[in-house]
Amino acid sequence: MNPKIERVLSRVQKPARYAGGEWNAVLKNWEQTPVKIAFAFPDVYEVGMSHLGLQILYHLVNERDDALMERVFAPWPDMEKEMRQHRIPLFSLESQRTVGDFDLLAFTLQYEMTFTNVLNMLDLAGLPLRAQERSAQHPLVIAGGPCAYNPEPLADFVDLFVIGEGEEVFPEIIDLVKNYQKHRDREKFLLQAAGIGGVYVPSLYLVEYKPDGKIASIKPSREGVPERVTKRVVKNFDAAPFPDKLVVPSTEVVHDRIMLEVMRGCTRGCRFCQAGNIYRPVREKRPETLLEQARELVKSTGYEEISLVSLSTADYSQVARLVGELLDEFAAQRINISLPSLRVDAFSVALAQEVSRVRKAGLTFAPEAGTQRLRNVINKGVGEEDLLRAVQSAFAAGWSAVKLYFMIGLPTETRADVEGIARLARQVLETGKRLGVPRGKLAVTVSVSCFVPKSHTPFQWEPQDTQEELNEKQALLKNLLKTKGIIFRWHDSRQSFLEAVLARGDRRLAAALEEAWRLGCRFDGWSECFRFDLWREAFRRTGIVPEWYAYQKYDYDDILPWEHISAGVSKKYLIDEHQRALKGILTGDCREGKCSGCGLCVTLEIAPELSGGKEVAPLQGAV
Amino acid sequence: MPRYRVQFSKEGPARFLSHLDLVRTTERALRRARLPLAFSQGFNPHPRFSFAAPLPVGVAGEQEYLDIELEKNISPKEIISRLNMVFPEGIRVKEARPVSDRAPSLMATLKKARYEVEMELSGPLTNSALQGCLDSFLALSAVEAATKKKDRQKTKDIRPGIYRLQGKVEQKKVVLEMELQAGSSGNVRPEEVCRGLLEKCGLPVLLQTCRIKRTGLFFEKSSDSRESGRTATEE
Ligand code: SF4
Repeated sequence: MNPKIERVLSRVQKPARYAGGEWNAVLKNWEQTPVKIAFAFPDVYEVGMSHLGLQILYHLVNERDDALMERVFAPWPDMEKEMRQHRIPLFSLESQRTVGDFDLLAFTLQYEMTFTNVLNMLDLAGLPLRAQERSAQHPLVIAGGPCAYNPEPLADFVDLFVIGEGEEVFPEIIDLVKNYQKHRDREKFLLQAAGIGGVYVPSLYLVEYKPDGKIASIKPSREGVPERVTKRVVKNFDAAPFPDKLVVPSTEVVHDRIMLEVMRGCTRGCRFCQAGNIYRPVREKRPETLLEQARELVKSTGYEEISLVSLSTADYSQVARLVGELLDEFAAQRINISLPSLRVDAFSVALAQEVSRVRKAGLTFAPEAGTQRLRNVINKGVGEEDLLRAVQSAFAAGWSAVKLYFMIGLPTETRADVEGIARLARQVLETGKRLGVPRGKLAVTVSVSCFVPKSHTPFQWEPQDTQEELNEKQALLKNLLKTKGIIFRWHDSRQSFLEAVLARGDRRLAAALEEAWRLGCRFDGWSECFRFDLWREAFRRTGIVPEWYAYQKYDYDDILPWEHISAGVSKKYLIDEHQRALKGILTGDCREGKCSGCGLCVTLEIAPELSGGKEVAPLQGAV
Repeated sequence: MPRYRVQFSKEGPARFLSHLDLVRTTERALRRARLPLAFSQGFNPHPRFSFAAPLPVGVAGEQEYLDIELEKNISPKEIISRLNMVFPEGIRVKEARPVSDRAPSLMATLKKARYEVEMELSGPLTNSALQGCLDSFLALSAVEAATKKKDRQKTKDIRPGIYRLQGKVEQKKVVLEMELQAGSSGNVRPEEVCRGLLEKCGLPVLLQTCRIKRTGLFFEKSSDSRESGRTATEE
């Protein structure tokens, strides 16, 4: 270990975050490997190491002879202080080299509230923040992940964005970097990169604004640069590269278990949900493949738990069979199977019961809205009876605590909808009492977040509720939920406001983002670190009105800041969905066999991949 | 059930693991080693193993001990080699030997621990001045150290638990070797001794530069010495 780093580690909290040396970490020969990539997760180690995407890319790159990938996470403020004081630049965990020595610095953008950490990591690495100030001696800074679907607030800081699934695009970028190493002409590299499908080079686009502040046009500034960048997706997901080894953290992380990705995508079509749109179509793996991957991972990691991950695991066509086979195979080794997300129905509870012979800690359901009317608006096909039946079977099966997730501030929401949340929560509590769950144990946690309108969703045109409105709704709920047995949790509306600003922002936000970072904003998603006062100050100093972004109601023919980025879902479909939402009309899930015409499959020349399930014929001419 | 006493070291990056991290890491390593592990009973069965004494975060260990229970006999050589294939960087198994399943636990028989502590100097210090300092410290009849129990400030006398204390000056550092009480009867921490040296005898050291290595653990002699752990006379 580098003695300077080692000394500092003795003084910070949780030094294992920075020490490296975990099982299955890959340390390659630096001199003999042409392309060196630092994978940067702009949050703390425990969060970053829980991210499956990191493990997938890490494996994919390190499998190649011509490239290596090492990891770096955002240092917690105590560590940042030590690093700055002792002039230790941001370093990778594997070789403890400074990030500036790598060819590529690849960020994953999982949520907007990590943006100041991105800037902070660039600075700690000793790199100029702005892409145009960096030269051939600096690493290329790239970024991907869900927030890359509206990359504009980071457009000035990042050289190129990867839109869509990294497994597809990364190999092509690596090849191009090898070429770049011969000529070292950044501009040439970026121009060539812009020709790769799914690659967005923000410096090659010109954005013009109207007098009212809205966008007049977004145009490529050079020949050969596409007008729109469309996401890349993995086809034949069953055969997609999947790690047979995972880096096993030595210290506890948020998701500390084998993550077995059973499928990608979800087409339930919740209208607020960005993931549902950007990860389309649904692609399932075969149970045989998954069983084989589970076997390998159990051997190589020593984990005692396998979690079946996806956006909605209960929807996986073969879930019952898979769970049964995993239990049969691994019970003798005392390995648990877990399901991270449950659907609101009795089937899901039965599944959860099957896998958890042991802990009956708590079950989580997400009805999202308090009334049937509003659930129809958001296309959450869940009825009150579904929820009550689900909790009934949960209580009957021995669970005593349930957690309910709701959202406030959804489009068209009225007071009655908010009251509906409290009513539903009480009904759940009553159900528990009726079924004889012991008083002291019975607990219904009501967790309420604030709706944030996200790009590439049918609600992208909608404004966010004002903070005052959100606070009022929270106060109302607080009042209505003052009952023994109900625990009410809510999200800081100021954080949701900032999230909306960043999620809907354009390039002009760069100034405020940089100023906020300069003022000391870090880890904005962590309530103990969040400094709304500093953010306010940053907006004031840069003359940017954040409300303009969060509360903007867009027209369908407005040019949105992310207009030039396509998730493959057609604009026509999003408009239709928005209209149906306002009328409260439900739209079905195409995995049931009927395409709802989102246009994606035609555009990307793909079809849903269902394992032993129905064939779906994507509608032609829907785009 | 066959029980094996394993001696290992915890250095390099592994030094920064907490005791809980080490427990977690050991469980996963044992599973990877595909040894015939014995599991605990109950709802959430875990492989049965136990450590002699927790090592605090940042403290390296040269000769640590761990008891592992298996369902079948395996040759110690095999245990050593399998474990060394699966422990992460910094954890190395050096020795393994069978102990009787009736032998008392490591924790119960632990008596003392030896540490090597390095600190940077805040001012000039000669070897003879250091010796004088150590002598006067050891001559104290009592050394009060602050302890914190459930948020209540308390003090304890650490002097009786200091069995040996030596040191030398090396360049701008002082290197101390100490043997301190450890185990169920009480624990003296090397930091407490260092603080005492600074506060009581004015040893010119920077406490925050303190780097600690536990170099040995000593156990009570058992009646059946063949099956006991390393005994107080052994090292
Ligand atoms: S095009 Fe049709 S089948 Fe394909 S994802 Fe969209 S709705 Fe589903």
